[in-house]
Parts: sequence; C-alpha cells; structure tokens
Amino acid sequence: MSDGLQLHGLGISASGRAILEDISLSIAPGDCVAVVGPNGAGKTTLFKAALGLLRPSSGRVTWHGEDVRSMPGRERAAAMAWLPQRTGVQEVVPVLDFVRAARFRFSEGRRAATEASFEALRAVGAESLSSQPVTTLSGGEFQRVLMATLVAQDPQTFLLDEPANHLDPAHQASFYRLISRQWQAGRSVVCVTHDINLLTHLSPPERAGDVRVVGLRDGRLCFSLCLSDGQLKSALEGLFEMSLQEVEVSGRSYFLPHSEGLR
Amino acid sequence: MNAVRIVAPQPGAAMSKRIVAVTIVCLLVLVAAPFAGTALEGEGSRFILVQLRLPRMLVGAIVGLSLGLTGAAYQALFDNPLATPSTVGTTAGAALGALAVLVLLPGEQMGLPVVFVAAFAGALAVTFAIAAIASSGRASINDVLLAGIAITLATGAITTGLQFQADMAATFEAVRWSLGHLTQVGYRGVIMLGPVVAVCTVVLLFQVRALESMLGGEDRAHAQGVDVRRTRTICLAFGAIGVGACVAWCGPIAFVGLIVPHMVRLGLGATRRVLLPMSALVGASFLVFCDALARWVLPGQDLPVGVVTATLGAPLLVFLVTRRPRA
Repeated sequence: MSDGLQLHGLGISASGRAILEDISLSIAPGDCVAVVGPNGAGKTTLFKAALGLLRPSSGRVTWHGEDVRSMPGRERAAAMAWLPQRTGVQEVVPVLDFVRAARFRFSEGRRAATEASFEALRAVGAESLSSQPVTTLSGGEFQRVLMATLVAQDPQTFLLDEPANHLDPAHQASFYRLISRQWQAGRSVVCVTHDINLLTHLSPPERAGDVRVVGLRDGRLCFSLCLSDGQLKSALEGLFEMSLQEVEVSGRSYFLPHSEGLR
Repeated sequence: MNAVRIVAPQPGAAMSKRIVAVTIVCLLVLVAAPFAGTALEGEGSRFILVQLRLPRMLVGAIVGLSLGLTGAAYQALFDNPLATPSTVGTTAGAALGALAVLVLLPGEQMGLPVVFVAAFAGALAVTFAIAAIASSGRASINDVLLAGIAITLATGAITTGLQFQADMAATFEAVRWSLGHLTQVGYRGVIMLGPVVAVCTVVLLFQVRALESMLGGEDRAHAQGVDVRRTRTICLAFGAIGVGACVAWCGPIAFVGLIVPHMVRLGLGATRRVLLPMSALVGASFLVFCDALARWVLPGQDLPVGVVTATLGAPLLVFLVTRRPRA
C-alpha cells in the first residue's frame, strides 16, 4: 500500500547526531494520529522531514508513492498543510490578506481567493477578525487564524505541531474540538503534542478507537496504540518515565501524575 | 439548503480610496516636475524642456521606480525592514566597477558607456555571488543577509583603496559619480534603462503571491507550496539587474530603496500586493520630486539628487516611524 503519507525507515541527523532513527509510519486518508513524546523527542523534526524541508540521512518520505522532496510545491501543498509550533509575523497585515496568502497553490482570481479565505475564517469561528491586523491578535485568536490558513490551503492532511501549546484550558479544549471537526469532515490529522490529556478531545468518545497514539522517544517510535486501548496508560508511563493514574470523566480518559508523585 | 450566505466583506474600501489618492498625487508630481525651476521662456526654452528636463524626469522616474520596487521586494524577501538593494552588494559592486574604470584608466577620453558597462558588471558580479549563496542548499535567509553585508564592506574597502591610489582629478570624478546624479542630455538613458527596468518590474511583480506567503516565514511558505529557493534567486537576480543598471547610469542614489517602502507601508499597509507596486510608483515620484525640489530651491547649482534624497528622506523616515501607532 502506498496511499497517503508514508515514512519508510526515516532517519534524520544533524551535525553527526541522529535526531530521528528508523521511523516507519503510515498515515492513510482519513487517519487521525497523535504523536506524543517528551520534549526533545524529535517531534518537530518529524514534520519538517515529512514536508521535505530536511534531507533524510536514511529512508524516505512518500505521498501516494512519490518522494515528497521531488514533488512539485503546489502538489505537496495539496497533500499537506502545516501548523508550526511557532509562527512569527512582523508585518502589520490584515488577517484576511494573511489567510489568503495560503491560497498560493490555487490558480484563481483574487475574488475567489478572498471568498475561500473568508469561508476558512468562518470555519474556525474567526470571521469577525478578518480586517484586524495580524499583529494585534491575542494568542488564542492568532492560533485560530493560523488554523484558518490551513483550512484555506485545503490539503488532504493537517500536520499540527503542539497546536494548543500557549492557550488557556478553555481555548485548548475548543481548539482540539476544531481539529476534531476537520478530521470528521474527512481530512487526515497528524497531531504532535506532549500534553496527553488533550488527546481525548481529538475525537468524540465513541470514535476514540479510531485515534492512533504513537509514542516517540529519543528519535525512535516506541509504541502505536489506539486511544481506547487499555494498555495506553502503561505505555505512556514508560514514555514519560512517571506513574500515571487514569481518570474517566464523562466517557473520556485523562491521565494524572500518580499521587505518590514522580518515580 | 437555505443557509444565509455571508459574503466576504470588501476590506478596506477606505484603503482603496487612499491608494487612488496616492496614485493621483504621484502622477501629478511626475507631470509637474519638468516645469519646476527657472521659468521656461525665451529662445532655448523648448530645448531645455524637451532635451534636458523631460529626459531627466523620465530617467528619474525609471530609477526611482526600480529602487523603490526592489527595496520593497528585498524587504519582503528578507522579512527585514533594513534590507535594501545596497544590502546585497548591488550598489557596492557597481561603485567598484565604476571607480576601477575612472581611476585605473585616468585621462583617457572614454564615453560614459564604459563606466556604465563596468558598473553594471560590478553590480551583477557581486549580487550574483550572493544569489548563488541564497540558492544553494542550507543557507538561511539571515546567512544571505550577512554574506551581503560582509561582501559589501569588503567591496567598499577595495573601492576606497583604489580611490587612495588615484590622482586628484580621478578622485573628484569618482566622488561626483558616487553622489548620484540625474543630469541628462537627450534620451540615451531612457532608451538604455527603460527596457531593462520594465522587464525586471514585471518579473518582480509576478513574485507577489510567493512573497505574500513568506509573511509567516520561509518554512511555512514552503509548506504552502512556494519554491523558496527559486523565489529567492529570482528576486535577488532581477532586483539586481534593474538596480544595477540604474546605479551604473546615475551613481548610487542614497536612501530611496530604504525609505520608499517604509513610507508606503506606514500609509497603505504591508500587504505585498499593495506594497510592491505602490513602492514602485512612490519611488518614481519621490526621486523626481527631490530632483525638482533641488532645481527649484538652488537654481543653476545642479545639486546631486542623492544629497537631496538623503537629507530629505532620512528625517522624514524617522518622523514617520516614531509616529507609528504601536500594536
């Protein structure tokens, strides 16, 4: 099978140090994969490699069988869009113009691009911000606008790097619901995070079995389980080297540090 | 389905009005400029207008357009408000080429085209070295900027060394060249620069969408489908060809490439689709205005226009930037 995004024995090294080693992962159309792991596990590097920004030291990344590094840019942009961990914008540009820039891959008139960008802003509930300068947005607003740029790019796969990192708890949960809506609308979603308690918001409780959780540590994959799997707790304990307590609240599983504290 | 369809608002109807207003003012400046200065009456007036002032206005407009547009494109490309056509060595290379001819071959009766060709070659050689760094593998855009500044300093040092070796006459000639001037007799400058700048303008304006995508950084632009290395190379190369030709003809004219994009940004916003074309237009009329102003204030002195753009432009820029509302 060569459908969707495939990592074949991918290795990435920088200045002689291996950052990723022998990663094999397959993301089929409609998949939802959460990549979890401690800081420095290589999560961000994984995305940069998937986008063809880095030259693999071994293995390769393919989209429908084609190497991502030799794909034409516009085709690659139709395959995947990326929400980086940090995005800095210095220029005072209105939100709508910023979102419209993501329509680069389309050959269309300005009017059509504007319509599509406005639709994308509506899809994330940020249409009221459209004429505000990007530089004046709050953290939560800016993250929504960034999500709108992904929707405007309209790819098959979303690559989301710590999407809720700097948000308050209410915004975190609503942002994950936003991601979940995109997944349920048919996109594949790959979401990288170290916050294991947000994962449960990736899907409605009844679809937790369809979310795959992949553990990444020291540049290697160490497990791949579905979100509803009973073994997830012990796998996460091994990954983060701490004992956890699983708590269920209205059908969703949360993992808290064990009351006996860190191991 | 009968959902209410909210049509995207047409943002900045007020902004469109401002753009139209700025455009009209710029065009008026261009039209009025040839009539500024000592009154046109009597016998030679037709010659002065048609053979001196009109070509001077046209060359000023072409050069200003090229400097303003390239400045805007480089600032967008480098995502750095301090980037100018001089930052990547274009001006320094041109100066080296011109001075090499003026100093090493003194006294010989060479027509201007020799200096022009040497300056143009110098500008392209230096900028293409930078463009090669920019298009090669792993250089980040800040590395490119650093390389540009370093090579500019090195080239400047060689130029100074050359000047030190030269006699008084050649040195004076070199200083005169390096101040920037628009003095024209006839239309040779228009014919030489016009087509070059026209091609570069079209090519740069075609990069607007890619540059817009770079607002959030080069990696993000790559993810949105932009061929980042290609965009870098095209912008640097065609910016350098246009500016290199202009600098070779008129000498380095200070500040236009830096100031004009900032004036446009503060007045009309930083959206690339507006910034690039309006910097071209404002650049053209700003340079022509400065030249006409010099002629009007100091009639008969033929003050180098580079002196006016710097003395007028620098305080104006500081004024605009400090008045800017902070987010």
